[in-house]
Amino acid sequence: MSALLLDEVSVRWGDVVVLRDVTCALDARTIAVIGENGSGKSTFARIVGGLTPATRGTVRVLGLDPARDAARLRRRVAMVFSNPDAQIIMPTVAEDVAFSLRSDKLPREEKRRRVRAALERFGLDGIADRSAHDLSGGQKQLLALCGAFVREPDLVIADEPTAYLDARNARRVTGHLLGKGSHRLLLVTHDLDLAKRCDQVVFIQDGTIAAIGDPAPVVAAYEAHLAC
Amino acid sequence: MLSLYRAGYSPWHRLAAGPKALLLIVIVLGVSLLPVSWPGPAVAAAIAVGCYAVPGIGLRELRRQLVAVRWAIGVTAAGQLVFLGPGPAAANTTRVGAALVISALLALTTPVGALLDALERGLKPLDHLGVDRQRVALLLIVTITMLPVLARLAHDVREAQRARGAPPGLRHFAMPFLVVALKHADALGDALTARGVR
Repeated sequence: MSALLLDEVSVRWGDVVVLRDVTCALDARTIAVIGENGSGKSTFARIVGGLTPATRGTVRVLGLDPARDAARLRRRVAMVFSNPDAQIIMPTVAEDVAFSLRSDKLPREEKRRRVRAALERFGLDGIADRSAHDLSGGQKQLLALCGAFVREPDLVIADEPTAYLDARNARRVTGHLLGKGSHRLLLVTHDLDLAKRCDQVVFIQDGTIAAIGDPAPVVAAYEAHLAC
Repeated sequence: MLSLYRAGYSPWHRLAAGPKALLLIVIVLGVSLLPVSWPGPAVAAAIAVGCYAVPGIGLRELRRQLVAVRWAIGVTAAGQLVFLGPGPAAANTTRVGAALVISALLALTTPVGALLDALERGLKPLDHLGVDRQRVALLLIVTITMLPVLARLAHDVREAQRARGAPPGLRHFAMPFLVVALKHADALGDALTARGVR
């Protein structure tokens, strides 16, 4: 079975159809989702992440049904959003990272080890005791990534994670997301160069999949659409 | 962001969150029950000084905490002065000030994560009533930590209004602030769900 499987999936909010009969089977390690604002990209990511239920159709993420296996899905899937401010839950950097492991039944020492290792990996170990809300935008987004990766997820879903960042910080964040690791990545982005670096690209237009496949032709199709 | 905790190695820091909370409650209750007549308030002040005069915290921190609660002390003093006169006002204000700075030691010397754990343990008796103590503890902690975030959002709304030349006033402020706050709450809910909170 493919890692991400959507079969005839629709999402409707009142009278508005946000996604319409989306069917796809995605198995690449890194997948980019591109499309215009309001096309349904974020809803696609939220369905995969189990944050938004499908109104109709079947969804399987890593073999799990997000509606029925929500708790198991949460343990295997991590999400990063565009606004770093809204992802901070605890007051200090280290506590915020540790919060991600609260619901995991791990020994206290193992949790400490994982938090320390994650802080070091994302270069936040020097500011572990700083107030999380006083960090720069780039540091906050690195903290959000750190909070996601400390759980050692099988799949990371990132919804425009570089939208608020300058070029340097955007590069650092994407470096971590696309870097070597055992995790799969579903990346919603407007950055077409970034999309080209993924293994597979999904182009969503008006709530349906307009193109899907290797990055070069799909990005070209999107650029052609933008030129119209 | 409300980040009162200061890392350190004082005796207060070394004390576990639960026993520390209980001890501080006992001290604050004791201070509150001291007689209004002198030397009751002097004893209250001495206890507050004694709580801070330990290695790793110090009287400089006590001064900082007093500055932080100056408005509460001022309001208490003003109210007492009007209704009770200078003597009782000084005595009561000293007791209230002492109680406030002593209770601040809990947040000052305990990481929020440890507070959350202690709260969850403390709420265990509520299990019999079907109360989800993990959720209650989280609600309390998130509420406390989000207050300054709301203050920042309010500031952002006022700035945006000033930039557009909108007149100051509650009517023009309330609606956009509510919208921004609810949007933030939505995003925070997503972040909590994504981090495994049911």
